[in-house]
Amino acid sequence: MLREEPKYQIPEKGKTVWRLYGIIETIIAIIFAGIISFLTFKFNFPPFVYYIATAVVVLVGILTIWLFPNIRWKIWRYEVREQEIEIQSGLFIVKRTLIPMVRVQHVDMGQGPILKKYDLANISISSAATTHIIPMLVTADADALRAKISELAKVAEDDV
Amino acid sequence: MYKYKLHPISMVINFVKALKDLLLPIIVLFIANGFNINFDIHSEKFFAEMIPLFILLFFVVYSLLNGILKWWTFRYWFEDNELRVEYGLFVKKKRYIPYDRIQSLNYNEGIFHRVFGLVQVMVETAGNKTGKAEAELTAITREAANQIESEMKKVKHKKVVAHEDDIAIVPAVRVIHKISNKDLVVLATTSNSIGVVLAGVIAIVSHFAEYIPYEWIFEEVAHLLKFGMLLVAALVLIALLLAWVVSVVITFFNYYSFLVTEENNRLIITRGLLEKKRITIPLNRIQAIKIVENPFRQMFGLATVVVESAGGSFGGEKDRRIVLFPLISKKEMFVPLQRLFPHLDLTLVDAIRPPKKARPFFYRLDFIWMVPAIFALSYFFFPYGLLSLLIIVPVLVLGVWQFKTARFKIVDDQITMLYRSVSRITFIAEKHRIQIAQRSQTYFQKKKGVATAKVVVMSGMSGAAAKAYNMDEKDIDLLMSWYERK
Repeated sequence: MLREEPKYQIPEKGKTVWRLYGIIETIIAIIFAGIISFLTFKFNFPPFVYYIATAVVVLVGILTIWLFPNIRWKIWRYEVREQEIEIQSGLFIVKRTLIPMVRVQHVDMGQGPILKKYDLANISISSAATTHIIPMLVTADADALRAKISELAKVAEDDV
Repeated sequence: MYKYKLHPISMVINFVKALKDLLLPIIVLFIANGFNINFDIHSEKFFAEMIPLFILLFFVVYSLLNGILKWWTFRYWFEDNELRVEYGLFVKKKRYIPYDRIQSLNYNEGIFHRVFGLVQVMVETAGNKTGKAEAELTAITREAANQIESEMKKVKHKKVVAHEDDIAIVPAVRVIHKISNKDLVVLATTSNSIGVVLAGVIAIVSHFAEYIPYEWIFEEVAHLLKFGMLLVAALVLIALLLAWVVSVVITFFNYYSFLVTEENNRLIITRGLLEKKRITIPLNRIQAIKIVENPFRQMFGLATVVVESAGGSFGGEKDRRIVLFPLISKKEMFVPLQRLFPHLDLTLVDAIRPPKKARPFFYRLDFIWMVPAIFALSYFFFPYGLLSLLIIVPVLVLGVWQFKTARFKIVDDQITMLYRSVSRITFIAEKHRIQIAQRSQTYFQKKKGVATAKVVVMSGMSGAAAKAYNMDEKDIDLLMSWYERK
């Protein structure tokens, strides 16, 4: 019998934010391509440099704005149970991580300006050795989840 | 309350330590100047050229004064069941460490220490997150070091009496492992540290690459080529041999008279020829055991056993892993291991292995870098570049070997994972030491019903991972369910 996927998906809005990040990355790629094209023009590098630069920009655009957000959103799932947290993440490799409540040391909530605009927040869960993120949760949910995890983690600690 | 001072030799030790850190800048400075420092006072450029030297001199004097000051102001004493340490002239640094929190005292004896019969004491606490010892007593006499231990014991003993537990606990010292001179030689000659030495040489060379007269070397080499490849090969061989000899000597010095004992549920490891080290690890801080066999040693049935330990810096050891048995024959290994960890199952009977269909996954990913590399080499260095095709053979062989090695086994609360990068690694941990478990699967793995699992235990300040590669996904899910607390 195969294990079931974690129950909850992240909100659809998360995809929008990832697209936004993708746009930013594409802009950075365009700037770089621009610099390289300028240098090519100035120093008479062979013309195929233009094609490569353009191809890279188009590729980065397609991947980071369209493809990656879709795949990421489909894969990301999470579930907080009484005894453990299960997170599914990844892009090319689907990773499913189990973090027992006993091992949770602290939970942080993080929110940059873009996330704030969309009323989203990331939660990061730290064990003694590793840190794991549940991204793009609606702020209120993220807050509730953070409180819930720290409560459950406290109880779990008491048991041991 | 009598406040103790460190031995005055601490000044010298502090100074030498600071000088060591200054060594690289000094070398760079001299080489950058092209070795021709101008000592002609009447020259116009005298002062301009002397500025770097003055700066250097300033730093040397500064570290000398610093070393003296630190010794001058350093005090430690025992009060209120605490070890208290204080130093600093303008900014006083104080650190009070309750005996209860002291996890171990680790000793180091460098050359200076040995001459005067002193030790360096590093006080380790459990909650230490910095990766440095909580407190460091640069040089004190052995009696003083023993005094710290007896002060701690006095308090602990009082507590035991108060609890009216078994009053007469005689701490039995058990010798777990001792390296014989023969083993030491084998260890040194088969050590991997030749890689370290080579890496060091390459790092230094690349650091000073600017100053190496490549043109001259190329000319010389071209000249040499006329003498034939044989000579070049001989030179390379000699260089490798030298690196190997250096690594042998280093290993020999480091592991000389290696001894592991157990006392009061603590492991005590002593080693070293010129610089003696003694570290103590409470057994309950050990997170996992790793048995490492490099291919060469595996042929002779030899292995290295290391333990991953949580927190603490363990005597300033850069490596977070603590070598338990530097070199031991696999046949003899189980007795002392079982004596230390009687509850563990060290056998591999009935271990789960990857299914046959998983075999390609062990070498498939390598083609991602191999194919472009081979194409590029073949294209740019046409006839000879084709030789790069030969790389496929060792990669395939290694992949198959990894496939043959991989397995894992779950018994009660213990997991054993066996995998190979080049060396074969047997990883043994208990469920309550595992921080997280992770199952990962690529698209292709999913199609074939194969998955990989990873577990992470604490190791020093961060984590150490072990993997079960490309197992049947049902087996991996079994592992995940085992880890779940349902």
